[in-house]
Amino acid sequence: MSEHLLIGTVGSNGRADRLAVERVREAAGDRVGVVVEVGRERPRPASLIAPEQAKRLEATLAEALPGAVVKARGNLVFVAADDSPDLTQDVCRLREQAEGCPLAVVATASRYRELLELGWDEVVIRSDQSEPSPGEPDERDALTELVVEEAAEFADRVELAGPGRGRGSRRLRDRLGSNRGQATPLVLGGVFALVLGAVAIVAISGAVTGKARAQRAADLSALSAARSMKNDLPRLLAPPLLPDGTPNPAHMSKPVYLGRARLAAIEFAVKNGASPLAVSVRFPDSASYAPVRARVAIATSVAPGDGGGGHRAPPNWAEARINVPASMGSVPSMASGGGYSGPLAERQGKGMRPDVAAAFDSMSAAAAAAGVTLTINSAFRSDAEQAALFAANPDPTWVAPPGQSLHRCATELDLGASDGYGWLAANAERFGFVQRYSWESWHFGYVAGPAPCSEEGNSVGTGGGDRSRALSQAFPSVTPAWVRPLILRAAMKWNVSAALLAAQLFAESGFDPKAGNGIAFGIAAFTPAAAAEYGLDDPFDPAAAIMAQAHLMSDLLGQFGSPALALAAYNAGPGEVGSCDCIPSYPETQAYIAKILGMLGGMGAISPVGMTIELVK
Amino acid sequence: MARRASGFDRAGQATVEAVAGIAALMLAALLCFQLLAAGYSATIADGAAEAGAVALIRGEPVEPAVREALPGWARSRVSVSRIGTTVRVRLRPPALFSSMADKLAVSAEAGGKPG
Repeated sequence: MSEHLLIGTVGSNGRADRLAVERVREAAGDRVGVVVEVGRERPRPASLIAPEQAKRLEATLAEALPGAVVKARGNLVFVAADDSPDLTQDVCRLREQAEGCPLAVVATASRYRELLELGWDEVVIRSDQSEPSPGEPDERDALTELVVEEAAEFADRVELAGPGRGRGSRRLRDRLGSNRGQATPLVLGGVFALVLGAVAIVAISGAVTGKARAQRAADLSALSAARSMKNDLPRLLAPPLLPDGTPNPAHMSKPVYLGRARLAAIEFAVKNGASPLAVSVRFPDSASYAPVRARVAIATSVAPGDGGGGHRAPPNWAEARINVPASMGSVPSMASGGGYSGPLAERQGKGMRPDVAAAFDSMSAAAAAAGVTLTINSAFRSDAEQAALFAANPDPTWVAPPGQSLHRCATELDLGASDGYGWLAANAERFGFVQRYSWESWHFGYVAGPAPCSEEGNSVGTGGGDRSRALSQAFPSVTPAWVRPLILRAAMKWNVSAALLAAQLFAESGFDPKAGNGIAFGIAAFTPAAAAEYGLDDPFDPAAAIMAQAHLMSDLLGQFGSPALALAAYNAGPGEVGSCDCIPSYPETQAYIAKILGMLGGMGAISPVGMTIELVK
Repeated sequence: MARRASGFDRAGQATVEAVAGIAALMLAALLCFQLLAAGYSATIADGAAEAGAVALIRGEPVEPAVREALPGWARSRVSVSRIGTTVRVRLRPPALFSSMADKLAVSAEAGGKPG
C-alpha cells in the first residue's frame, strides 16, 4: 500500500473501515499505522496490549488533536475524528505527527472532496449502498460516478472497491478497467449471430423448398396425367365401330389412352424439375375399361449415408384421378322423382329443361336491354319438393298438390321482380312463354317446345322435341336398334332418361343379353338377389331385364336425387352409397360412373358433366 | 493531466463504440430482414406458381388461383404470366425502397397440361 490512503465511501462505511485496517496493516509491517475514521459515532476501544511505539503515537496524536478519540489497538492507532469544518487541517496535522507511518483516512462522500486537495498516494472509492427497492430510482450510480470523476483529479490511482452487488459498481468497474474495445466484440458477435441465424433459416427453408419442389413435380405430373385422361375419355368411350361397321376414327384404344397419359405425366414432371429417368407412372385401375387414376412416383437423388455409403430417400409420389361429383351443386344434372326426367340446365341456381333455359336466356337479354332484370324464384320442382311446399301452404289455389304442379315438368318459371311484370306481360310471348294463371303474374310456362311432361319433352336435351329425332338421337350412337324400343318403353314407364339407361346397359354388358360373370347376369347385370327383389324371373330376358333396370334406377334416383349417386348405388349397392351419401372410392365404381356420364356428356345429354380432376394423395 | 487521461477518455471510447455498434447492428438486422423477406417471397411464389399450374390443368382461370394462394400483402406485388403450358409468377418482396424491391424480385415457374 502507499503511505497515504484516502478512502471515500458512498453509503455505509463499515466495509471501508475494514479495508482501511487491512491496507494500513499490510503497509505498516512491523511499524505502527494510523487509521483515521471521520465521523465515527462509536470510537473503537483501546486494546489491552499494544506496542510501545503505538502507545507513544497514541499519546502524540491525542495531544495534537484534542477533539478526537485516539486509541491504540495492537500496532494500529485509531483516530475517531470529528466531522468538523477543520477536518482538513486536522488530517494535515495528523499526517505531520505520524510521519513515517502509513496512514489511511476514511471519509464520507460529503467530506473527502476537501481532503483530496492534500494529495494522496492512493484514493479508493467504495460504493457500499444496498440495492434500491423496486420502483425506486437507482441514484447511487450517478453519485458514485461523480465521486470517481472528482477523485481522479487528484489521485495517483483510483480504485473502485465495493461489494460487487450493484449493477452500477460493476458498470463503473467495467468502464474504469480494461473496457477499451469491449463494444466491438459485442457488436461483431451480435452481427455474427444475426447473419448466422438468417443463413440457418435460409438453409432450412431451402431444404424444405427443395422437398416441396420434388413433391410439386409429382403432384403436377399426376394431375397432368389425369388431365390427359379427362381430355381423352370421350374418345376412349366412343364406339370403336361406326354403324356401318367401319372403324370409328374418333375412338381411342385403351393402350393409346394410357400411353398419352403416361407421356403427359413424364413431360410435366420434367417441366417441373424432375429427371425423366426418375419418373415412374402407374395406373392403379388400368384393368378397368375406363381408367381414371394415375399415380406418379419421382425418385429422389442418392444422398450420402452416415457410414460413407449412400441411401436412396423415399420417392415423392402423388395420385390424381378424374372425379365425378355426387351432385352438381344444388341442381342435379338430371331431373328425377316424378314429372320431367331429362337433363336439367341451370340458370340462377334453378334447374329447367334445356330448351326452356335457352328461351329464358333470350328473354332475359331482351329484358336487360329494356332495363328490366329478371330473377328466377322457382323452376323445376320434384314431387317431393312440391309435397313439402304443399304441406307448408295447403291451398290448391296457390300451391298445386304433389303430382299436379306443372313445375314438375321443368317448363315453368316463377319470375321476379314485380316491377318487371308489365314488361313480361307485353313481351314474354315473343320468347315462347305465357302467363299460366291470371292470378299468378309471376308464373310463366314455356309453350314453344314439346308439351310439359311429354315423352318428347324428356328427350329435348338430346334429340329435341321431334319424336322421330328423339327416337334416333336420344341414345348413344352405340345403342343397337333392336334394344331402343325396349329402353324407350321402360324409360317412359318409370320416368327415367332413356339415354341414361342405354349408357348404363352399354357399361354393364355391352348390350349382350347373355352376359354374365358369375355374380351378375344378363343385359342389365342383375344379381339373383336384386332380380328377385324386382320380380325379374329371367335376367337373360332383355325386355324384362331392362324394365327391372328402369324400375331400380327410378327408385335409386328418388332415393339419392343424383344420377351419379344412383349409378354408384346400382354398381356398388345402395348401402355403400347411403352410408356416406357419396360415391364409394372403389376404382371400379368410379370408372363405371365416369364411363356412363362420359357417354352422356359426349352426346350432350348432360350439360355440363361435372367431372373434375383432383389429387387423391 | 496524465492522471485525467488515464481513466476518463475510455468512457467516451465506450460511448462511441456503442453508437457505432448499434448502427452496425441495425444495418445487419435490416440486411437479414431483407434476406429473409426475399427468401420467404421465393417460397410463397413457388406455392403460388403451383396453384396456378393446378388451375391450368383443371381448366380454371390461372391468375385468380395464383393470387388466392398468396397472403394478402403479396397480392398487389405479384405479376402472373402464362407462356404455353407454363405459369410464371414474379413477386416483389417487401423492401425499404421500391427500387430495391424490383431488383430483389423473385420468379417461380410451374407447368401443367392445360384443360
